[in-house]
Amino acid sequence: MVRRSIEFEEKIPIAFESQEYYKKIIERIIKVNRDIIILSELLDEQMCGYDLIKEIFSRSDVFLSQGTVYPVLYSLEEEGLLQAEFSKGDMRAKKYSLTPKGREVAHSRIDEFAKALEQVLVIIQS
Amino acid sequence: MKPMFMNAINGLAKLLNMNIPQGSIILVAGAEGTLKSGLVFSIISDYLAASDEHGLYITLEQTKESHLKNMSSLGLKKSDALHIFDYRDMRREWTDRELDMMVELTGEVIDYYKDKYERLTVFALDSLNALYALSQEADLRKSMYDFFSGLRDRDLTSFLILETPHAGTAAQISHFTRPENFLADGVIEVGIIEGPEGVKRYIRILKMRAVKHAMEKHQLIVGEDGLCILGSIY
Repeated sequence: MVRRSIEFEEKIPIAFESQEYYKKIIERIIKVNRDIIILSELLDEQMCGYDLIKEIFSRSDVFLSQGTVYPVLYSLEEEGLLQAEFSKGDMRAKKYSLTPKGREVAHSRIDEFAKALEQVLVIIQS
Repeated sequence: MKPMFMNAINGLAKLLNMNIPQGSIILVAGAEGTLKSGLVFSIISDYLAASDEHGLYITLEQTKESHLKNMSSLGLKKSDALHIFDYRDMRREWTDRELDMMVELTGEVIDYYKDKYERLTVFALDSLNALYALSQEADLRKSMYDFFSGLRDRDLTSFLILETPHAGTAAQISHFTRPENFLADGVIEVGIIEGPEGVKRYIRILKMRAVKHAMEKHQLIVGEDGLCILGSIY
């Protein structure tokens, strides 16, 4: 299942001496790779920027600020990976979903991201 | 040859004898209807069209679409290398209290575009007044000092639009003693003059560090090919 690649809490056992240090690493990974995290979140349902920030926070305890999320959404939309529409009855929230091209790119980026993380593990554990 | 801001719009070289140094922060100040947004958009867009660099224009007052519509109505074309960002969706989905760190948020938006476009060298904010109005930072003066420092650290040539009361009023004079005027490397004033020949828009450079420049007010018009600066109004 593709989404498991960002379900850190389930996948990685907490065997670190410092919980704080562990959280910092997770935060850094999520912030730097937020485009992949966003694409991954949108695989199952359409969301607005607010939903995305809330969902990522509830799943990872990492708060991505608005200034780091909305520019990514606009860029992904410009690249044709996302499409946006206002939800029925609520003109306040612009909901994003993946285009067919976006879905393809999301799967491939998530796979590459997972492989890269595995490679990093191999390097630091060898 | 590297493109220069002084050649960006027709006639600007009448005011600037040399190029604006990279990384300068320029305030563009004037009352409503004095073409502040059009002037900044035109300078940046024309500059980028002649270069291989990128620029970011953040509009806090309008949406991207309405801003581009206004610019188009003035005959101004957007360079493909000019990226426009607005806060419409953010402000629809979050309360003002939740968006309390607007100065910091704006820095994050700049960082995103700077990471995305390696040669992002030009920045515009429309406007500082809106940023002040939306910001709820406890120490706004300190935040603004940090914001100006951040623009310098990122080596961005920045144009910050500041709406002021009409020229010649006491309120306007107090505007020009505000801290941002001291922090900025340059101040360009745009305004309206009423005379026997009718009403004219003007542009004047009040300050431009490290650049020789004219001090006179020059007429600013909307020509067939966009904005144009004519001779001095005296």
